[in-house]
Amino acid sequence: MRTFVTRLRSATWLGWQLDSNWTDPFLFLVYTVLRPLATGLILAGIFWAVGSRARTPEAFAGFWLANAFHNFVNQALVGMGYAVVEEREEYETLKFVVVSPVGMFTYLAGRAVVKLAMAVIGVVMLLAIGAWLLHLRWPATGAHLGPLALTLALGVAATVSSGFLVAGLGLSMPRAAINVNEGIMVGLYLLCGVIFPIDLLPRALQNVSLALPFTYWYEALRRFTLGHGASARLGAWSDGTLLAALAASTLAFVLLGRYGYLALERRARRLGRLDQTTLF
Amino acid sequence: MTAPDDLARDAPPQRTRGFMLEWRAMTARTYVRIVGSLREPAWIFTDAVLPSLGMCSYVLMYRALGAPRSYEAVAVVGGILSAFWLNVLWGMGAQLYWEKQQGQLQLYFAAPCSRMAILTGMALGGVLTTTLRSIVGVSLGLWVFHVRVTAVDVGALALVFVITMTALYALGMTLSSLFLLYGREAWHVCNALTEPVYFVSGLFFPIRALGTLGYVSAALVPLALGLDALRQVLLHGAARGLLPLPIEIGGLFVFAVAFLFLARFALERLEALSKHEGRLTLRSQ
Repeated sequence: MRTFVTRLRSATWLGWQLDSNWTDPFLFLVYTVLRPLATGLILAGIFWAVGSRARTPEAFAGFWLANAFHNFVNQALVGMGYAVVEEREEYETLKFVVVSPVGMFTYLAGRAVVKLAMAVIGVVMLLAIGAWLLHLRWPATGAHLGPLALTLALGVAATVSSGFLVAGLGLSMPRAAINVNEGIMVGLYLLCGVIFPIDLLPRALQNVSLALPFTYWYEALRRFTLGHGASARLGAWSDGTLLAALAASTLAFVLLGRYGYLALERRARRLGRLDQTTLF
Repeated sequence: MTAPDDLARDAPPQRTRGFMLEWRAMTARTYVRIVGSLREPAWIFTDAVLPSLGMCSYVLMYRALGAPRSYEAVAVVGGILSAFWLNVLWGMGAQLYWEKQQGQLQLYFAAPCSRMAILTGMALGGVLTTTLRSIVGVSLGLWVFHVRVTAVDVGALALVFVITMTALYALGMTLSSLFLLYGREAWHVCNALTEPVYFVSGLFFPIRALGTLGYVSAALVPLALGLDALRQVLLHGAARGLLPLPIEIGGLFVFAVAFLFLARFALERLEALSKHEGRLTLRSQ
């Protein structure tokens, strides 16, 4: 265990250097918050544009909240996929990570720690901006802090586990790795009903949505923070059922992330794709 | 004795000069951009499908808020234009950075033609391929979200589209010259110019909703002005336009001319600066 912690610490330090040392700390902080801030402000722009013409404006707080937490997915989950692209394509150092004592899995875990920290900054800032600019209240009356804490922990576990899976896909699909990352980022934003209830998706896509932990995560975050969710379909579920669905899907993704990643890494090694550069 | 055939073969090739050289360089680069983009099916997915999926989320958000249907059309037009902005950033702005990473940038500078001809060819190819790929967004808008477009003045639409693309891609040419100096920063700058520019351009909502900031954006960002003008041509009153259309067309013309001059100036200055600082062919900074 101590060895793992030491290696994780080294990987985290290296990840921090890679992510941040291209500029000075202040500019890096601005860069870290710029994208999440802009996505939030786009929602604010939509809200301002619609104004009093919206028939259900109370739904907006839930969309803002889920959009803020989607920063975990963008930063950590997709970021782990991009870590593979950077190491292999840009710096051509992936092979050295593979043969180092740290190893790919622990290295990716270290990179995830940095990206989670960056995501937290974005989430906190978005919640603060929402409260200041749009007078949204967190947590609202009717919030359930205990289930909310459990929801947060499960969501982070699902994010990191899925990140391993995305990184594994990146390892075994060198040429398409960037497309996979971008596709997952946009696809999850649509499929998990971040800024709209999944009820508005076609039925087939709703079923795909219900296989993903993030759908339950966003709904639970809304329910336990604001006192109400967004989806009528999931709204019929009790709190316990929603949490159980989140826990079960998270467990499935934890297992899939762990064993799926290892299988994909083995496949990439077998096919000679670990250090196959395709871009530069 | 040398045979006449050998003499003809050994004669120096007739050199192309002046306008013809620039024209041939431009068309060659356009050809490479179009053929290259068709050879990579994964990029077709990224360039054509992903911007449209992003747009769907915003359209469904309007629906979830119970907003009037005309706002969905506003978001659809924005989603279509987002593909062009991404192409300007990653296909134009970052192109010389990619070339540097691939070790090909020096070939651009060793070529007898001007860099502006090469960049113009890239821009033309980028506009053509992105226009083809925007068919996905148009199809989604018309047949999935049932956006209604009535009585479009085709002449006005063509004028606004051409002048918007000229302004946008001239901005892309300026960015590409700036990125000559950059290493990893190029990637980060492109990332940083995506969603923030979406916001200040009102990509998914009428820019008028931003109040004074909307006017400031329209004065600084060609995407904001071009998008608003296109919406006015396509959606008329439902576009909730910022300024009268003729003023916006005039502004876009000024943007186009200014960025073309700026691109030429920046390319010369930054090429010299990159050489001076030894960054022109420095990879993985």
